[in-house]
Amino acid sequence: MTREVFIAHVEREQEALRGFLLALCCGNKGDADDLAQDALVKAYLSLAGYQDKGKFRSWLFKIAHNTFLNHKASLRCTESIDEARTLVSSTVADSEFEHQDLYLALRTLPPKERSAITLFYLSGYNIKEIAAITDTSEDAVKKQLSRGRDKLKEKLKN
Amino acid sequence: MTKDKALEELFLAQKPHFTDNDRFMASLTSRLDAVEFIKQQQETTIRHYKMAIVVAFVVGIVSGAVTITYVLSTPTNVPLFTFSLQSTFLLWLAENSRIISATALSLLMTLGIISIISNVHDIMKMRVSY
Repeated sequence: MTREVFIAHVEREQEALRGFLLALCCGNKGDADDLAQDALVKAYLSLAGYQDKGKFRSWLFKIAHNTFLNHKASLRCTESIDEARTLVSSTVADSEFEHQDLYLALRTLPPKERSAITLFYLSGYNIKEIAAITDTSEDAVKKQLSRGRDKLKEKLKN
Repeated sequence: MTKDKALEELFLAQKPHFTDNDRFMASLTSRLDAVEFIKQQQETTIRHYKMAIVVAFVVGIVSGAVTITYVLSTPTNVPLFTFSLQSTFLLWLAENSRIISATALSLLMTLGIISIISNVHDIMKMRVSY
């Protein structure tokens, strides 16, 4: 795949990718866009390993998911829900989004559950596809979805 | 597994619409330019490393062959080198010239091998960092 073809594909998929990362970053648009750029550069450098089977978006999401997990691992700290509330409400870009409660609830989920929930409900992937993107078994994805859904509903109820 | 309708609707309602797609793509393009530049620099460095390996290999083979041929072609009872000055140390050097030459040659070959391995290792590291 040439650079021009890659950029054309990215132009088509970038909104979905940024939306996915925005949800994973719980509404922090700056972090989400930085991760999206990092993921796209990684994808560009790994183009030799991409087998064109019409699954460019899934391939991008897989790289973005790994980039997000690495980013989370490098932070090695978890903010409390109060810190999250301050962070989310103070971000200028977040004023565009009405559903900050969802982001706050998502923030309480572990990264893997957050990824599974976002891919399932926001990006519309099925369990098999999520298992492929996150490199886990279908059973593990089912458990993550079930646990994540219960926790989200509980948080949103409060 | 069935979808929870309320959650699905909540996620669909918060689906963001980005208004800065052009800025995002411009930023990505400049990053890709930087990546291309670094890749070119790394390829040039790898080429230089490869050249250094070839030169080290050729120099090692030629100097090794010349020295070994010289050592083997001289009579064993004649020192490889002598000194015009008379001193105990220089005399000792001349008497042990074969051993000293063999040791020096071994050191040179060891350094050459270490240099080649180090260069190959550096090239592999650069390839992995791609």
